[in-house]
Amino acid sequence: MDVPYQGWSVAADNAKQDLRKVKGADSYVVKVDQAVKKRFKNGLVLLDVKKKDLPAAITQLQDKGYNSFIVEPFVAHAGGTERYLSLSHGRDGHTLALSSTGGVDIEDNSGSIETFAIDAETDWKKLAEKAALGVEQLQALVETFKRNHFVFLEINPYVVDGDAVNLLDCAVEVDDAASYFVSDWTESDIRAPKRSSKEELAIQALDANSPASFMLEIINPDGAVFLLLSGGGASVVIADEVYNQGFGEHLANYGEYSGNPNTHETYLYTSEVLNLLVKSKAPKKVAFIGGAVANFTDIANTFAGVVAAIEERAEELAKQEVKFFVRRGGPRQEIGLAKIRQALIKHNLLGDVYDPSTTLTDALGTALKGLEA
Amino acid sequence: MKLADIRKMDAQIVCLGSHPGIIQSMLDYDFLIKKQQPSIKVIVASGRKQERYFWGETEIIIPVVGDLEKLPAHLKNSCNMVLNVQSARRVLSSSRRALEELPNLKILTIFAEQTPEAHALELHQFAAKKDALVIGPSSVGMVVPGHFKLGAIGGTQHQQLSNAGIFDEGENAVVSTSGGIVNELIHTVTGAGLGVSFAMALGGDRFPQTTPAQAMLLAEADKNTKRIVFFGELGGTDEYEIAELLRTKKLTKQVIAYVAGTVAELFDAPPQFGHAKAMAQTHDESASAKKAALREAGATVCEKFADIITVLEKCEKAPGKRTASTIATRQKSLMISHISGDKNQEVQLLGRDLLQTVESQSMASLVASMLLGEQVNSPKLVNFVDYVMKLLVDHGPYVSGAVNTIVSARAGKDLVSSLAAGLLTIGPRFGGAINAAGEGWIMGVEKGMTAKEFVEFYTRDRGVISGIGHKKYRIDLPDPRVEALTKFAGNANGDRYLKFARGVETVTTTKKGNLILNVDGAIAAIMLDILESELGYDQDKLKELAEIEFFNALFVLSRSVGFTAHYLDQRRHDEGLLRLSPNEIRYLGG
Repeated sequence: MDVPYQGWSVAADNAKQDLRKVKGADSYVVKVDQAVKKRFKNGLVLLDVKKKDLPAAITQLQDKGYNSFIVEPFVAHAGGTERYLSLSHGRDGHTLALSSTGGVDIEDNSGSIETFAIDAETDWKKLAEKAALGVEQLQALVETFKRNHFVFLEINPYVVDGDAVNLLDCAVEVDDAASYFVSDWTESDIRAPKRSSKEELAIQALDANSPASFMLEIINPDGAVFLLLSGGGASVVIADEVYNQGFGEHLANYGEYSGNPNTHETYLYTSEVLNLLVKSKAPKKVAFIGGAVANFTDIANTFAGVVAAIEERAEELAKQEVKFFVRRGGPRQEIGLAKIRQALIKHNLLGDVYDPSTTLTDALGTALKGLEA
Repeated sequence: MKLADIRKMDAQIVCLGSHPGIIQSMLDYDFLIKKQQPSIKVIVASGRKQERYFWGETEIIIPVVGDLEKLPAHLKNSCNMVLNVQSARRVLSSSRRALEELPNLKILTIFAEQTPEAHALELHQFAAKKDALVIGPSSVGMVVPGHFKLGAIGGTQHQQLSNAGIFDEGENAVVSTSGGIVNELIHTVTGAGLGVSFAMALGGDRFPQTTPAQAMLLAEADKNTKRIVFFGELGGTDEYEIAELLRTKKLTKQVIAYVAGTVAELFDAPPQFGHAKAMAQTHDESASAKKAALREAGATVCEKFADIITVLEKCEKAPGKRTASTIATRQKSLMISHISGDKNQEVQLLGRDLLQTVESQSMASLVASMLLGEQVNSPKLVNFVDYVMKLLVDHGPYVSGAVNTIVSARAGKDLVSSLAAGLLTIGPRFGGAINAAGEGWIMGVEKGMTAKEFVEFYTRDRGVISGIGHKKYRIDLPDPRVEALTKFAGNANGDRYLKFARGVETVTTTKKGNLILNVDGAIAAIMLDILESELGYDQDKLKELAEIEFFNALFVLSRSVGFTAHYLDQRRHDEGLLRLSPNEIRYLGG
């Protein structure tokens, strides 16, 4: 875009080193760089920080639970000059949104945002004028968006002083499915919104290295209901049912595996969930293993991994009186379900095991009833 | 696209990429609903020429081609459905190619997860110009009961398919953004004693090619469909389009809807669930807002998943119409053969009874047929094979293969060992030239090279041109055998291979008088002309023959007679071990 930019990435665990590189301005802005929205309003942006106060500023933000920051030169500007710009894509092509009253209150001023379709008929001159940018600058911005597989880009605010354009804050959302097709960013440039636990990180690594997909998110570390689910749709339905049946506050995690993972992968996945389960301080705990009727995920193979992980921790689990409930269907379900039932009986962990003739709702209902008693 | 038209279509499917589990399940579906023929015609994948699958309990072969462009014209025209199971990286290019290459393509399902959004959007724009239903990405496909199953939908084991109850045409459309749930809902519908009119998984991406609203309109226009069971999720605003269709009465059939993701309310920051689109950034995108909009517009919105069953159980039951086949145990064979085998306890050759063949066919006709792997009826080809077999039978005891047979025979070895010693000599410098010459002529003609370019190509990269050159005969002293062979010229293809070979000879003989077209080169060229003219073989098929050494086979067979004769001859003489004298070998050491 030909707009000069200066900024330094600072990681919490390497702050001292990273801050050494910061120089050249009278004072600085320190921001949390972790894909958090409304940073300013949430006190995650510190303005006009002198160089000597930078370490303290980083510590202050770190204490709020963040670990990735950006330091930029502080640019003072007159009030009321902040502009807003965003770009997005959809079935009708690209859309540019502009407002001349940008800044942290943009959501209150949403009426001021005008949107424009970017297509063959776009009057670039008029549009650039509206954005207070040069035609080439604006076109370069759209090109950058396309070339880098951005999904959303927001510059809010930016200020224009004569020919000088100053981007005060900018966020982009990239399409991580496109990392193979881009050269300007890699997976390592993507910032997670919050600090991940050891177990979540392990699952992210598992996901990154497998053609199957894995996901794990902790909701309540001391929850009583632990889910080990398969299928992007069914997993949400089951988590919903926990919530709808009034057990939301007891829900410990959300997660799913899908795309026919192999036995070793489901073993690793299960081990991480069981880690969380054993750690939870809830007095009574249940695990629900389940999913819909799979189309192509092999139940015997995937459950073999689940069973192996359970057997490894069986003693601990039995001591905590955890009960396992299972409901699943799909290729080779008879073998998979029989194996897991056998293992759960052997280790005194059996809640119950259901095939698809029992609905997801009913199977889960029985599992949750155990918590009430 | 209308479902009525889809039902009228005879499904002819191309698989882009190979996914054996899914392909087998589609074939099983065809078999179980008693189709006469498998609907899968070809697989586009690299590495093999064919894949084996089961049709019921017996094995069948599905051809594999390396590139969609290589599909024969009749298949390009007849194929109307594509199953795309290629990786996400290739979704855009391969789907686009399919839409371009197959003029009658009506349904395309895309299986891969993690397709870049920009690619999905580009494909959407491209597909909009075509009258085709594109489903996915991240879709397990579509099933129209009683007609076809395109994708993993319904399961990948034949027992699963039988349990799912998707053989009979019913009245309930199942539309879901999730693949696992589409299957769950199929079971829910059939478990309630109802049938499915069609089921499709739209995929959990942010920009599905077929949107939920489009799927609703498909169901609305379908006379067989009475009501729609719909599964949606938080994220995106597609459900508002359905609400709008209901409000404006463009959608009048009952919609039984479940929108997943109310659990998101538990999270501080908007969570990303399993599917790419399953993340609500704004209130509009939340499950509860979408449910409220659908309910207000008149949809039957279920709060609990099990409520879907309650609603369906109140519906009037529609009995099934079809009894399906069953599949018993299967056994994969170790090998397959086109050439011969037992049928009704009798030996068959190429589909004909052995005795019948013996009584009605000449040896040359049998050799031609067996080597080509099909019964050939061209007298010209048979005569040519007969002539060539005779011509190659023996060229004297001087050649290296014959010498080795003779040396072995005199060493007291048995027939088979001595014959093998001779045969093992056949290779690039002895006897292997016919095949190499054939390869050359095919390449030259296919690439449209001039004789001069061809000669330059060979002399630069390889040095020798197979089929050219003779020790004794020269341009002014022509090889009489080559002259004799040319009586088989005059083929319907204008003798293009022989003409090309003669053209090459014109160039090479200006360099050296003995660089003439030799017997090997002439046999290869004339054989190519005859196969093309008499049997209609195309270049791919001719290339395959060269690849599998068909042309060498003629030499091996014929010369085996010569070697055997030399063996027997030597045994009759019984002269004892052959040993070279020291003056025949010059020792360079010491």
